[in-house]
Amino acid sequence: MSKIWTLCLCGAIALLVGCASEGKKVSRIDANSVTDLSGSWNDTDSRMVADEMINDCLGRPWYDNMIQDKGGKIPTVVIGKIRNKSHEHISVETFIKDMEKALINSGRVDFVANATERAELREELASQQGNATEETAKEAHQEIGADLMLTGTLNSIVDQEGGDQVVFYQIDLELTDIQSHRKVWIGDKKIKKFISKNGVKL
Amino acid sequence: MKRLFLLLLSTILFSACANKSMTRYEALAPALEKKGFEGAIEKVVKEEKDLYGSNSQFLYYFDLGVLHHYNRNFDESIKNLAKAEKIYEDLYTKSVTNEAAALATNDNVRPYRARPFELLTMYQFQILNYLAKMDIDGALVEVKRSQIAMNALYQKDKDKVNDNGLLRYLSALVYELDGSVDDAAISYVNTVKAYKEGKLSLPGEVLEFVTESLKRNERENQLNSLNVSIPPGTPKATAVQELGQEIVVVGYAGHSPILGELYMQGTFVSGGALNLSYKDGETGRMSSLTLIAPPVAGGSGNTFHIGFALPEIRKIPSHVARFEVTLDNQKGIFPEKVMDVGSELAQNMENEKTSTILRTATRVAVRTIAAQKAKGATNTGNPLIDLLKNLFVDVGQSQLEQADLRVGLFLPNSFHMTRIPVEAGTHKVSVAALNSYGNVVELFDFKTIQVKKGQKVFLFVPSIR
Repeated sequence: MSKIWTLCLCGAIALLVGCASEGKKVSRIDANSVTDLSGSWNDTDSRMVADEMINDCLGRPWYDNMIQDKGGKIPTVVIGKIRNKSHEHISVETFIKDMEKALINSGRVDFVANATERAELREELASQQGNATEETAKEAHQEIGADLMLTGTLNSIVDQEGGDQVVFYQIDLELTDIQSHRKVWIGDKKIKKFISKNGVKL
Repeated sequence: MKRLFLLLLSTILFSACANKSMTRYEALAPALEKKGFEGAIEKVVKEEKDLYGSNSQFLYYFDLGVLHHYNRNFDESIKNLAKAEKIYEDLYTKSVTNEAAALATNDNVRPYRARPFELLTMYQFQILNYLAKMDIDGALVEVKRSQIAMNALYQKDKDKVNDNGLLRYLSALVYELDGSVDDAAISYVNTVKAYKEGKLSLPGEVLEFVTESLKRNERENQLNSLNVSIPPGTPKATAVQELGQEIVVVGYAGHSPILGELYMQGTFVSGGALNLSYKDGETGRMSSLTLIAPPVAGGSGNTFHIGFALPEIRKIPSHVARFEVTLDNQKGIFPEKVMDVGSELAQNMENEKTSTILRTATRVAVRTIAAQKAKGATNTGNPLIDLLKNLFVDVGQSQLEQADLRVGLFLPNSFHMTRIPVEAGTHKVSVAALNSYGNVVELFDFKTIQVKKGQKVFLFVPSIR
């Protein structure tokens, strides 16, 4: 008889556990802090890769050679297509913004708007002609032509067995001379993550 | 007091386990028929709690994602199917309490984990969503995710069919768009393997594109090893390669089968006979059978009331069987059947049969013994009260027994597809949904379609009737 009561009690507890509502808690954290929840590509990866790769890029010999060739002027860079060829829907825009920030903050290169932004700027410029006052309207054909274009790919390899997964990201960036099509720098950054999931829980 | 507690607990269990699967189709099918995809979406969202509940969240987002795809809300479809995928991934971890509760009640108390073919169909829809948006990178991500999912399924059970010819074929198409010719060729080879593994035979047009790709990439030896009869010519596939652009028509015909319940009930005499009666799903007639019952420890000579429910496939009559495409007044282009959802469901049921029966038998045995113990423990000595109480326990026990009938509700009966090579420019396209006699059931007029140089334009024809 006591066994039946124990079973009933277990059943009731199981039901209560199953029906318990999940509480929600929100707290603010530092935007630069490292947070890994799901194991997917996140803001930390994006920022870290952008900072490290741009630092590596600007610290290589091509930079001094180009300064010399340009008579001391710093080179101008434009960001081209960065393709996401990984297994995750990664926000490439965020990654590009992180790279733009790293490039500008380095102070070692000039940086011009990309093709999409340029189209928008040209539209605005065209709109100013005939609409803005003569003194404030900006002139056409005054854009700075970029010397170099930064392009790249984000790739990934996934290896898994049961609840364990190893995700390997490889980010390849290339800096190409727009005039000569010569590749002046190729860099890569690798990130490896181990993600483990439990098969059972209470 | 103890008796009152037992009755209360039984009431809670009964109310907690109402079978939503039984009502879901009845509630949603009329909304789809009368108000179309928009009306069905509205109904699904409005009645999420009643029709799906917290244990069928995968199905909720899956059904919504599929409906939004038909309704050409590709962004919404992507969002919902991504949520379904997330739920599937999170459900990798099984809850011991849920499994125990399922053993005491029925499988509906477990969260729905998706059938393998549903998971793979979800990736197909995601790939098609991104292709509709002309987002090649997005489609490529889904191709890779689907490959990871398939690997995981095969790791879980390599003896079951966890592949899908259409998914492999779409993957090859995406790789072609990306310019990854080797990956495309590998996917084409896997397409043939997947069709061979499944129940639907390899469509002729698919074989044409496979042949063209492998020949072009100097992989003819692989073609020979696939053991297929190589078509003498590949005019369509060659034209697509040479012209560079094509119109791809994907048709969704009819309504996929759903699951009904085969309820068997009767008496079990330990060490004697097992008498069962059930309603035949095909004929609707009551049938009965008698088996030799195995002896149950401590139950010799006792008569037990038992009932158990098993899922069975219920076909829904489809008004649409195939499609006919008219391109620039050129009639007679018939997209081929590239996936049969009914076969996929049948295959899945076949794969799961042993484990379903085993789970059901264990559950029924555990509950029958518990019910007999409960009856004995709560005897009052008053014959009338005891009779009523025993009746209540038996009815309650049979109410608890419900088959898990959960399955995606808005899948088509079959997927059809054709690739039409075209010159860049404007084309007039219309697609007729035909019944099995070749009569037009529904006409989809796309009017003029603009095809840019090198572009693959995807047209979707959802005729879920």
